[in-house]
Amino acid sequence: MTDVLRIRDLNKSFGGIVVADEVNLDLHAGRVLGLIGPNGAGKTSLFNLVTGVVKPDTGSITLDGQSIDNLPIYQRARLGLARTWQNLRLFPSLSVLDNVMLGPRDYPGEKLTSLIFDARGVARRQAEEQDRAHAILKRTGLAGVAQSRVQDIAYGQQKLVGVARALMNDARCLLLDEPMAGVEGQAYGAIQRVVRDIAESGVAVCVVEHNVAFVRDLCDEGVFMFAGKVLARGTVGELIADPRLTELYFGT
Amino acid sequence: MEYIVTIIILVGLFVILAASFDLIIGYCGLISIAHPIFYAIGAYTSAMLAKEAGVPVPLAMLIGAGAALVSSILVALPSLRVSGDYLLIASIGFQLGLIELAKHFHEIGGAGGLTNIPPFLIREVGREAYAVLVVVIAALTVWFVRWMATGPYGRMMSALRDDELAFSMLGRNAIWVKVSVFGIGSAIAGLAGGLYAHYFRFIEPDQFGLLASSAVLTMVVVGGMRTTWGPVVGAIVLQLLPQAITFFGLPPSVLGPLQGIMFTGLVLVFMFMRPQGLVAASDLWRGREGGARHD
Repeated sequence: MTDVLRIRDLNKSFGGIVVADEVNLDLHAGRVLGLIGPNGAGKTSLFNLVTGVVKPDTGSITLDGQSIDNLPIYQRARLGLARTWQNLRLFPSLSVLDNVMLGPRDYPGEKLTSLIFDARGVARRQAEEQDRAHAILKRTGLAGVAQSRVQDIAYGQQKLVGVARALMNDARCLLLDEPMAGVEGQAYGAIQRVVRDIAESGVAVCVVEHNVAFVRDLCDEGVFMFAGKVLARGTVGELIADPRLTELYFGT
Repeated sequence: MEYIVTIIILVGLFVILAASFDLIIGYCGLISIAHPIFYAIGAYTSAMLAKEAGVPVPLAMLIGAGAALVSSILVALPSLRVSGDYLLIASIGFQLGLIELAKHFHEIGGAGGLTNIPPFLIREVGREAYAVLVVVIAALTVWFVRWMATGPYGRMMSALRDDELAFSMLGRNAIWVKVSVFGIGSAIAGLAGGLYAHYFRFIEPDQFGLLASSAVLTMVVVGGMRTTWGPVVGAIVLQLLPQAITFFGLPPSVLGPLQGIMFTGLVLVFMFMRPQGLVAASDLWRGREGGARHD
C-alpha cells in the first residue's frame, strides 16, 4: 500500500481547546478511510490542518513524500490535494458547470500572459476541460443540471457539485467533509458509487461522516477521534462494536 | 465647440475610470475607493516627465500608467494577503497621504497645482483629434474589461468574489488574481490621468481626493456594476449632471459641496431603489462562448 498522505505528530490548539493532539495518520492509495467521532472531536479541524486552512502548532504532513508544511492552500491543491466542505462553499454566481470548470489543478487561462499571447492554446485547453467537466457531471448524475445555478438545485445535488468540483483536480488525495449530511434519495447512491470509483482509480480518500451506515458500507478502514486524539483504528464494524467508543460518541 | 469637445473628453476619461474601477470593485469584488489616486499618479508622472525631462508625451503617458501599476501593487500586496477590508483602509490612507504630500511638494506644484503641462495633439492636429484619441481608448477599455470579465479570467473573478477560501482550495492563487486585477485597473486609471494632464495642462492634488472617489463610485453604482455598459451610462449621466447644474450660476463654494451631496445622495437612492443600477447585471456569470456544449 502506498502512503499518499502522511501526518506525523500533529498538534493544534486554540487557546485551551485542543483540536489535534499528537495525530499520526496515513492515507493509502486506493483506500477509503472513515473519520468517526462526535461533534468537536477535531475531524474537520484535521482537514483544515491538512489543507493549510489552519496552521498546526507542531507536526508535519507529507503528500506523496513531499513536505507540504510550508505551502499555502492553493499550492497543496496543485499537488493533488482536493476537498469538499461541510457547508458546501459553492460559487453561487456560477452555474453548476462553471463551478466544476474551476476545479482543474492547472486551470487554463489563470495566467494573463497566456490569455493574451496563447489565446488559442487556452481556448483549446478550456474546451478539453469542459469535456472533462461534462464527463464528471454525467458520472455524478448532474448532467441534466449543468447550466443551472447552484442554489436552484436540490441540496443533495449541491453536495455532488462539491464532489464533482473536487474530482476535476484529478487528486491524489481527496478529503470529503460530511458528504452525506442532508442527502437523501438518488444522490445518496450516487455519492457512494462515485467515492468508491475514485478510490478504485488509486486515489487516497478520507471521509468525515456521521452517517454510520454510509461509512460502514464505503470505508475500508475507520479511525475514531475524540478531543483531537486518534483513539482507535480498525474496520468501521469493529469501531462501532466497541462499547467504549460508542459511549464516547453518544455520551451515554 | 471647444466646450462640447471638452465635455466629450471628460466623459471619455470618466468612462475609462469607471470601467477600470468596475473591474476592481464589481467583477473582482475588491473593496477600494482610492481609484483616483492612481489617476493622479499617472497624471503627475506623465506631466512631470514631459515637462521636466522632455520625454515624448505618449511615452510619458505609458510610463505614468506603469507608475500607477507599480504603486497599486505596492499598496495591494500587503493588504490583499489577508482577507477583509484592509485594502479599503490601506488604499484610502495611501490616497489621502499622497495628496497631502503632493500639496507640500513644491517641485510638483504643491497645493497650487502643476501648470504649463506640455499639450499633446491639440496644437498640431486639434482638440477634436484628442477627443477621438480619448474616445478610442475609452472604447478599448470597455472592450478589454468585457474581454477579461467574460473569459476564463472572469469565471475566476466571480468565484473569488463568491468564496475566496473555496477558490484557493481549487488550486487558484487568490492573492495573485486580486493583485493582478487591482494592478491592471489602476494602470488603466494611470493612463487616463496622463490623458487628462496633457489636455487640461493643469492638475492639482485636491482634484484626486474623496470627491473624485465618490464620483467614480457613483458612476459604477448608478450605471450598474458588473455590466459592460453600466460604467459608460454612469459616466455619461454623472458627467452631464454636474455640468447641467453649473448653468444655474451658483458660486463655486456652493457648487462643490452640492456635487458631493448629489453623488452621495444618488448612491443612497440607488442602493435603496435600484441596487442593480441603471443597467442590471445578470446574477449568473456567463462566458462569452455563450451556452456551453452539451454531451
